[in-house]
Amino acid sequence: MSASRRLDALLEAGVGFVAGVPCSYLKKLFAGCAELPAGFFLPAVREDHAVAACAGAWLGGRRALAAMQNSGLGYCLEVLTSLHLMYRIPLPMVVSDRGAPTDYEEHRILGQGTRRLLDLFGIPWREAHTGEHEAEAHWLVEASERERTPAVLLVGKEADV
Amino acid sequence: MTRAEAVALTLSSLADGDIVVAADGAISREAYRALDRRRTFYMLGSMGQVASIALGLAMTRTERVVALDGDGNLLMGFGGLAMVGGLKPANLYHLVLDNGCYATTGGQPALSRMVDLAAAALGAGYLWARRSSSGEHTRGAVESWLAARGPALLNLAVDAGETDPAPRVPMTPEEMATRARAALTSA
Repeated sequence: MSASRRLDALLEAGVGFVAGVPCSYLKKLFAGCAELPAGFFLPAVREDHAVAACAGAWLGGRRALAAMQNSGLGYCLEVLTSLHLMYRIPLPMVVSDRGAPTDYEEHRILGQGTRRLLDLFGIPWREAHTGEHEAEAHWLVEASERERTPAVLLVGKEADV
Repeated sequence: MTRAEAVALTLSSLADGDIVVAADGAISREAYRALDRRRTFYMLGSMGQVASIALGLAMTRTERVVALDGDGNLLMGFGGLAMVGGLKPANLYHLVLDNGCYATTGGQPALSRMVDLAAAALGAGYLWARRSSSGEHTRGAVESWLAARGPALLNLAVDAGETDPAPRVPMTPEEMATRARAALTSA
């Protein structure tokens, strides 16, 4: 058992490597990642480097998960399109769902375009709900591996379990 | 020494089990032409991510991982140096083929002429980093680099000219990824 039930469910679903940049909506998930054994968690300096490292870990034989704030999707776009989508490399992603009208200004513009951005590149996504972390972990791994594509679980503040 | 000659010399110095990540553009094409290996991953895009992909491999594999990078490429993804230097994977060997310019787009000058990439690697935490001119000493420089304690970075100066361009790698991206992963994971 780690600090995060969501991370436990993802590990149970076969995730064997995590790279990411923290978000305050994902505090529990990152607290769990910090407890993973050496070689399982990469604290990346920017989100594009995180997803590129996940591609390397997948080539190495692991199921690799990326975790980040949705603002990081902008940095990732070149890598998601010219690495994961083009080479068909699976990438389960846990992305915080920031940008509600009540959220701070800096989160709103990209936050309110997150779903359209993912739809534009055909990246499947789903919203996380409290208490469904096991089904969501299963969906995320399945969706990314079946089509060998990035797939995104959008996690609101209350769904960081 | 041309970049293609330096790529060929490096590939000829590796063991069969070594894993190679070849940078997008000319470096991948030259690596394929010099010596195609099932354990080489050829990048086509994602400029700036050579070290990050190599780090993901180095963290999940025990074999040596060799990143064939370019100077402009490394500068674009400079944060990758911090991740490698911070995590210090002992099996990561980083070669920066440095022509001081963006050769494939017309030779526009790159800031590698003003930035000491080997010093930056040491500052980030690499355990070994050196700059070397290319020529008759290159084989010795490559041998010293591969014998050093990793993570180790060799910044190798190569000619700026683009002569004898190598053709594109005749595989689909999906084939490149599937083949490299299968070579690493099938018993």
